[in-house]
Amino acid sequence: MSSDVRFTDFKSDKQPTWCPGCGDFGTMNGMMKALAETGNDPDNTFVVAGIGCSGKIGTYMHSYALHGVHGRALPVGQGVKMSRPDIEVMVAGGDGDGYSIGAGHFVHAVRRNVDMTYVVMDNRIYGLTKGQASPTSRSDFETSTTPEGTKQPPVNPLALALASGASFIAQSFASDALRHQEIVQKAIEHDGFGFVNVFSPCVTFNDVDTYDYFRDSLVDLDEEGHDPSDYEAAKEVILDGEKEYQGVMYQDENSVPYNEKHGVTEDMSEIPEGAPEDAMDLVREFY
Amino acid sequence: MAEDLNWAIGGEAGDGIDSTGKIFAQALSRAGRHVFTSKDFASRIRGGYTAYKIRTSVDRVQSVVDRLDILVALTQRTIDENLDELHDGSAIIYDGERSWEAEIPDEMTAVDVPLKSLAEDAGGAIMRNIVALGAACEITGFDVEYLDESLEKRFGGKGSKIVENNKEAARLGQEYVQENYDLDHLGYSLETTDEDYVLLNGNEAIGMGAIAAGCRFYAGYPITPATSIMEYLTGRIEDYGGHVVQAEDELSAINMALGGARAGARAMTATSGAGIDLMTETFGLVATSETPLVITDVQRSGPSTGMPTKQEQGDLNMALYGGHGEVPRFVVTPTSIDECFWKTVEAFNLAEKYQTPVFLVSDLAMSVTEQTFRPEAFDMDEVEIDRGKLVDQDEVDEWLDEQGRFRAHADTDDGVSPRAIPGTIDGAHMSTGLEHDELGRRTEDQDTRVQQVDKRYRKVETAEEQEEWEYREFGNADADNLVISWGSNEGALIEALDYLEEDDIDVRVISVPYIFPRPDLSEEMEAADDVIVVEANATGQFADLLEHDALTRVKRINKYTGVRFKADELAEEIADQLSAEVPA
Repeated sequence: MSSDVRFTDFKSDKQPTWCPGCGDFGTMNGMMKALAETGNDPDNTFVVAGIGCSGKIGTYMHSYALHGVHGRALPVGQGVKMSRPDIEVMVAGGDGDGYSIGAGHFVHAVRRNVDMTYVVMDNRIYGLTKGQASPTSRSDFETSTTPEGTKQPPVNPLALALASGASFIAQSFASDALRHQEIVQKAIEHDGFGFVNVFSPCVTFNDVDTYDYFRDSLVDLDEEGHDPSDYEAAKEVILDGEKEYQGVMYQDENSVPYNEKHGVTEDMSEIPEGAPEDAMDLVREFY
Repeated sequence: MAEDLNWAIGGEAGDGIDSTGKIFAQALSRAGRHVFTSKDFASRIRGGYTAYKIRTSVDRVQSVVDRLDILVALTQRTIDENLDELHDGSAIIYDGERSWEAEIPDEMTAVDVPLKSLAEDAGGAIMRNIVALGAACEITGFDVEYLDESLEKRFGGKGSKIVENNKEAARLGQEYVQENYDLDHLGYSLETTDEDYVLLNGNEAIGMGAIAAGCRFYAGYPITPATSIMEYLTGRIEDYGGHVVQAEDELSAINMALGGARAGARAMTATSGAGIDLMTETFGLVATSETPLVITDVQRSGPSTGMPTKQEQGDLNMALYGGHGEVPRFVVTPTSIDECFWKTVEAFNLAEKYQTPVFLVSDLAMSVTEQTFRPEAFDMDEVEIDRGKLVDQDEVDEWLDEQGRFRAHADTDDGVSPRAIPGTIDGAHMSTGLEHDELGRRTEDQDTRVQQVDKRYRKVETAEEQEEWEYREFGNADADNLVISWGSNEGALIEALDYLEEDDIDVRVISVPYIFPRPDLSEEMEAADDVIVVEANATGQFADLLEHDALTRVKRINKYTGVRFKADELAEEIADQLSAEVPA
C-alpha cells in the first residue's frame, strides 16, 4: 500500500445522484477518509454495496467493488475476506438491506467476527422505492404502506448485534463529519467485525428523523465518559429506550477475528498450474 | 462377464448399516474385486428401514440389478422390503435370539446366527454387525482375513483393542456358520485379484476434483445429498491453504462463494434442488458480474421437500433456465463417479475461461454409490488448470481506458473480458447486477445494453467453438436403435447392453455429459430407426430438448419412483420401447 493515498483516491468520477442534502454524502465521505487514514489503497480495498439508496455507494467510490443482491452484501464481504485476508473489506448498505431482507445474515456475520467493517446508512425509511416503512421506522411513522404507522417496535440493530455476540458496536451521525470518520476508523482498526450504524437522514421521505432531530437529541458517549470495554455499560446505553447515542458503545479488546481463529491466512487466489504436488495422496486415501 | 454377487445388510437407521456395509465393500476392494454399492435409506437418524447393498465381481460393475443373493437382515422389514429382489437361492443371515420372529420364505436358505451373543463373546454387543460380516464371508467363501484391513481402517483410531475385538467378532461369525451349517459356500467362491482399487463415491470424487482443480474456498449449507461434498473438503482443503465455511443458508452460501471468486479464489458451493431454489436469487448476479463460479447441484427427488433421500434427475430445466432475465450459464452433467472428478476439474476451467457460472449437476445415486476404480482413473498429472484472462500486474495497462480506468467488462472479439483481482494495481473496478458499461458502471443506454448482452452470449459462442462438447458412446455404433441418456444412468445402460445382446438386440448408447452447450445429436438421431431417451424424471426434460434440437419425436423411458435405473430392468424397458409406436 502506498503511503501517499488521499481520500479522494477512493472517489470515482461518477457524480452521486443522491438527493441534495442526503445523509449518504457525509457517510461516504467519512468512510473514504477513514479508509485513507488507516493506510488503505483502492487497489487493496474491496467494497461491497447492498441495494437501496445506500447501495449506490459502490458506484461513487473507487476500489474493487461488488454491488450485489438486496440483503446479501455481508456474505459477499465475508467470502472476500476469507479468501483474501490481505484485502481490506468494507460492506455498506441501508437499514432495509441490513435489518430487513438481510437480517439473518447480519446476525451470523456478527457471530463470525470476520475482520471487516460494516457501515449501515440508517435513515429509517425506504428511500429508493419512495418512502415505505423500514425496520428501524418508528411504530407511529406514517408511510404509503403503513398509513397508520407500522404498529411494530423498530428493530434495535445495536441490541441485535449485542445479542449476537458482537465484538464492536458503534453508532455515528453523518453530519458530525469528524466524529463519524473517527468512529468508522476505529471500526476499521478493530480486530474483527466492526459494526457502525450511521444516522444518515433522508431529506425527502423522512420528516421525523431529521438532521435537526439528531443534532438536538444525540448524546456523545465520549462526553459521557463511556468505557466501550465495559460490557455492562455498553448494554445499558444500547438498551436505553430514551436517549440515542453516538460513539463506540462496545469493543471487545480480546476479539479474535474469524480468519485467525480458523487459521485462514493464505491468499487463495494463488494456486499451482496443475493439481497440487502431493494430490495423489488424496486418491490413495481411498484404498 | 464374470459371476457377480449381490449382498446387502439392512436394518433400522442408527444400526450402523452404512459403516458395516462400507467395511465389507472395502474388504472386497482390497481383495482386488470390483464393487458397486447402493443405499436404501430414509432421512431419519434413527428408525425407518435402511440398507447398504453391494454388487461385486472381478469384472467392472457399474449398476445395481434386481437380484439379491445374500442378505443380512437385522429386522423383518429388511426381508419384506427386498422380497422382490430375493430369489430361491438367496441366503438370509439373521439373529434368531432377537425378539422378532424371522419369516423367511421356505425356498431360501435361512442362516440363524446369534449375532449379539457372539459379539458379546468378542467384547461387546455393538459388534454384532461385524459377526454378521464374518458369517457372510463363510457363506460366500470369502477369506475372513480380508476384513482385517478394513477393520483397521475403520477402527484404528479407537485403539488396537477395539480393532482386535472386531477381528475376533468376524471370526466368531465365520466359525459359527462353518460349524453349524453345511452350506458348502452355497456354490460361491469369491475370486480375488492383485488389483489395488480405490473405492469412492461421486461426492468424494467432486470434492477431490475441486481440490485438484485449485478450488480453495467452499461455502455451503447442509442438505441431503450434497453435504458429503462439504464434509469431504472439511479437514482436507485446509492442507492446500483453503477453507470451508458453513453459511447460515444457501442465500449466504452462494454469496460467500461469489465473494471468494471476486477476490480471485477458485470457489464453489454445492447443494441440492431446494438449495438451488434459493441460490437462483444470486445466479443472475454471478452471470452479469461475469464471475467464475461452480455451483454443484446433487439432485434429489422434488418438488419442494419431495423425497429427500431418493433419486431423481428433475432439475435440468432449473439449471438451464432458472432465474429471471437472460444470462448464459454452462450446464455440465457427469455421467459416472470417475467423471464426477474430471467434470469438476473442467467446470472450474470453464468458469474461469469464460467468466461464467457453471452448474455441475450430479444426483443422489452417484452421491451415495461407492465404486472401485484403478487409482490411475484419477491421474493428477492429467489435471490441467486454465485461468483464462486473469491479468498479471504487467498486463493491466493494456486494459485501461484513456482515463486510466480498468475495463472489466471490455467488449472483446471473443466476448471474454480481462479479469483483475483485488491487489492488482490499477485494476480496481466495480461489478454489479445492474446493467453496466465496460467499466462496470450502471447504464441504461440502449447501445451499451445491447453490447453487454451480446458480449455475454458471445462467450458461449466462443466456448462452443473452442471446447470439445463430446458425448460418450457405448454399444454398437452402427446399430439402428439409439438410446440417449444424461447423467448417472450411463452405468446401468452399459450393463443393459449385455442383457440386450443376449436377446440379439443391437443398441447404440450415447451418454451426454454436457447439456449447455451440448453436442448436436441431430445426425445421430436422424440415422437411427428408433431413438429412446432415458432419464430419471417424469416429464422427459432432456428428451424435450433433443426433440427441439432435431425437430423430431423420440421415445422416452422415464422413471420417477425415487429409485435409480437398474441394468436388467432398463434392458427390458428398452426392448419394450423398441416394439412400441413412436409418439405422435
